[in-house]
Amino acid sequence: MSGIVKSRTPGGRALTVLKYVLLTLGAIVMVLPFLDMFLGALRTPAERLASPPIYWPRDPQWINFVRVFTELPMLRWTFNSIVVTTTITALQLLTSAMAGYALAKFRFAGANKALQFVIGAQMFPFFILIIPTFFILRYFPLAGGNDITGTGGSGFLNTYTALILPFSVTWYGVFLMRQFMMSVPGELLDAARIDGAGEARIFFTIALPLVMPGFVTLGIFVFLYHWNEVLWTMTVTRTAPDLQTIPVGIYLLRGAFVEETTKSLQQAAVAVSVFPVMILFLALQRFYVRGLTAGGVKG
Amino acid sequence: MNKLTTSKLRVAVSALALTAAATSSVFAQDTKTITIATHYNDEQIAPITACFEAYEAEHPGIDIVHQQASYGDFLQTILTSRVGGTSPDIYNIYSIWAPQLAAAGALEVPPQEVLDFVNANYADGSVGAATIDGQLWGIPTELSVYMLTYNKKLLAEAGYDAPPATWDELLEIAAAISKRNDQGNLTQAGYVYGTTVANATHPFYSQMYSEGVSPFNEDYSATNFTSPEAVAILEGQRALFEQGITGPEMTTDDFPSGTVGMYIAANWLKSTYQDAFGDEFEETVGIAPIPSSRDDWGTMLYSFLWAVDSTSDVKAESWELLQWLNTPQDGLSCTGQMLNGMGALSGNIADLGMMDVDDEFSQAYVEAIESGAAQTQPNVPQAAEIDRVLRSYIEQVWAGNFSAADALAEADAEIQAILDDAAM
Amino acid sequence: MIKWLGSSKATPFWFLAPVIAFGIIFFILPLGFALFTSFTRWDSLQPPRWVGLDNYLYLLTSDRRFFPTLFNTLYFAAGTLAIGVPLSLGIAFAFTQSRFQSLWRSLYWLPMVTNVVAVAYIWIFVLAPTHGLLNRLLAMAGLPGPGWLTDPSIAMLSVILVFVWMQLGSNMLLFSAGLNNIDESYYEAARLDGAGTWQVFSTITIPLLRPTVMFVLITNLISGMSYFTLMLVLTEGGPLGRTTVTALYMYEMAFADLRLGRASAVAYILFALVFVLTLIQLRFFRQGGVDAH
Repeated sequence: MSGIVKSRTPGGRALTVLKYVLLTLGAIVMVLPFLDMFLGALRTPAERLASPPIYWPRDPQWINFVRVFTELPMLRWTFNSIVVTTTITALQLLTSAMAGYALAKFRFAGANKALQFVIGAQMFPFFILIIPTFFILRYFPLAGGNDITGTGGSGFLNTYTALILPFSVTWYGVFLMRQFMMSVPGELLDAARIDGAGEARIFFTIALPLVMPGFVTLGIFVFLYHWNEVLWTMTVTRTAPDLQTIPVGIYLLRGAFVEETTKSLQQAAVAVSVFPVMILFLALQRFYVRGLTAGGVKG
Repeated sequence: MNKLTTSKLRVAVSALALTAAATSSVFAQDTKTITIATHYNDEQIAPITACFEAYEAEHPGIDIVHQQASYGDFLQTILTSRVGGTSPDIYNIYSIWAPQLAAAGALEVPPQEVLDFVNANYADGSVGAATIDGQLWGIPTELSVYMLTYNKKLLAEAGYDAPPATWDELLEIAAAISKRNDQGNLTQAGYVYGTTVANATHPFYSQMYSEGVSPFNEDYSATNFTSPEAVAILEGQRALFEQGITGPEMTTDDFPSGTVGMYIAANWLKSTYQDAFGDEFEETVGIAPIPSSRDDWGTMLYSFLWAVDSTSDVKAESWELLQWLNTPQDGLSCTGQMLNGMGALSGNIADLGMMDVDDEFSQAYVEAIESGAAQTQPNVPQAAEIDRVLRSYIEQVWAGNFSAADALAEADAEIQAILDDAAM
Repeated sequence: MIKWLGSSKATPFWFLAPVIAFGIIFFILPLGFALFTSFTRWDSLQPPRWVGLDNYLYLLTSDRRFFPTLFNTLYFAAGTLAIGVPLSLGIAFAFTQSRFQSLWRSLYWLPMVTNVVAVAYIWIFVLAPTHGLLNRLLAMAGLPGPGWLTDPSIAMLSVILVFVWMQLGSNMLLFSAGLNNIDESYYEAARLDGAGTWQVFSTITIPLLRPTVMFVLITNLISGMSYFTLMLVLTEGGPLGRTTVTALYMYEMAFADLRLGRASAVAYILFALVFVLTLIQLRFFRQGGVDAH
């Protein structure tokens, strides 16, 4: 990929320089705010109260990163984040792959309509579903003390289910997996059927392995999205501190960090919420890119 | 079909939702759990937490759980839990939220025993704050009063040895304290406001009382925001911004950092100041009446109260626990210990008598209550929404977009609609 | 029926069953429920009362806040497109032709993997007026230091810039994928014809990239019109309500004031707007796709 710029001409050389200047400037803007947060997490209360406040910590408070775990419910939040995000990811992958497989590899009445529905549903922004979904979970029959009419208890609210169930399917994922499943050769599936393999077995042992790159990419995408999800989790865990995830917990605890002297701990908590997922993602980056370049992006 | 019953709606929802009915197992419970929601953080509520443990030890079969939410989120948390059917059993609520919660049927009427207990042991001001249309809704707790809080050292540095008595004096002193850096941003502010709704509305109400005008009329059917006094107050606030004495870059949160000259604040911040200034607390923090153009002055008093949720399945146990928490035993009651730790005042007469209020700081507030200068904040309906609307117009004036008269006329119109709507 | 369930005709429906159940319970039902609610006055503590079109009429005729929030929404969506798209296109362009791609990618993706609460609490400190990093840097250069999040006239711009910062990585990714998909032979042919860099860019790259640009525009427009979490956490809709977008207005109306009927009406009006804008864009998209070939 040599692209359109020829660096042999003087104009080309200027462009090459410009290109790297642009990339470097952009990269600084990307990274600097994180550095600012990191330094903030290390400041002492005295450094914060000094006039003017001291920017470079002279006595770095590494202990703040420990305090995040001892003085804040960070462990609880982390546990919740892991439970909720892995369950959602597993559910979305399974439902997307299954539905995508059905839409790509079977002919049935309404197949076209179903595909259009999946595409159309992606156009509906989440904000329109927030209010009704809250009440559907609340009045869900036979859940959380509710009777058959959906009354008497609190439904799925104040349970992990409230955080997970409304995200058990992703229309985008269904569509994406359908695109990947299109590339699975029908002959392979038919051959397995002739050999007497059951449909579930065909799906899991033949179709799924063939779309692994897309499957993994979708998995990373979904995991990342829901690890960082704030709006819905905040809405249903406001009254259930035991179920709050890392970002929601940090947000709803903001009232404890209004005084200048407490802000180092807040910034340390923010850092703790950011760095592990960064490292994980950078490690998995390769798989993510591979799946995207395999044809997912253009849809 | 003009009216739908909730149950019909629920049936409609459930009929469609049945397809994926999931069952949840309900275990028989041996112990009764009482959930208590407050806006106090773990550190503040520590004395009560110790009491919970003592109570649990004395009453086997009772399990007490504390649920905390930031003050700014607290009403929303209560409402959400109420809406979601996940209400705690006991709330510690701000008195002005009581009308909205009571109107929605969220609050349980206290049993006669509790009513008698409150009437016998609490000061009139705090009982009034917990009463709506003649009905008392719970046990008063924190009693807070707004006063002018000032940094003695900054005033002295600027050459003033006494706090201002009028708004004009306040402007003059504050102007002498404010400092800006090369970029024009404040590094030290003579006067500040804060970012929350209450940070704007409470000082405004306090100033109205100081000018002798109540924010609302007698039966809460209209506001007094268009009165000449209210307009003059807001014009005075606007001058602070116009003259560059204050600005959004510095807030009430900066006072403990020692970079703020004055602001109107409540007494519960005492422990915050003590933490921030340490040994220097008495020499640094001064308390004065709300500036007024009259010879007399006044201010606003508000209260929190313990209330029980109407859907709780442990109501009797909850009231019993509350009465125990609020009864002084050997010394301060459990609630009293917590309030004392924060530097807040109590509506409980016996508790108040035993609190550490002999210092100059607390005495100023106690005197404001005892002299009758502090008047109870009115329990208007939809108070939280009204306050938010008012704040939005006050901000417009601060920003110089509206004159005080125009903004208050607009605010009055919008709030009138809310009051009319609530009366429907 | 039972026989049918076991037949090969039923197989695709077995695979679709979870998605169908979800579609009914968490998509169709809520949409219908919200529509019904929008015609009622309901605080969820007392039974809903049918009020017909009152909520819609109130919003469109007497509510003083509703239209300003729509303006803010459009400002935000347009602003993120106007600033974010050219910027990410430029970066993507430089990126696809540079060395050390995985390094650049890693750096540009950092904000993308960061949760929005962290993004807000990082930038609150960077943008703090008196002692924030940005104004400190500006002061060193002898420049003024505005109140990025407190000055009503620039607060929304600041929110837009933070959002662009958040999104730059993913848009760059889409654009660079689009650029990589352009066949090398086009460039070679153009070069043999003696075309200069700019000519190649304007006559080959831009037209061939048009489908990707349109895709990014549409997805960013829908998400921009619907987005409010950053405003909720970063500015809480202030100052002076200048960063209160319509979706945020709806959320607070519903969960802070329990005006669930009116809030549902807000949701439907906003959705109608998003829907219409999307259709218009889709039409352009189709044309653009055709033109490109």
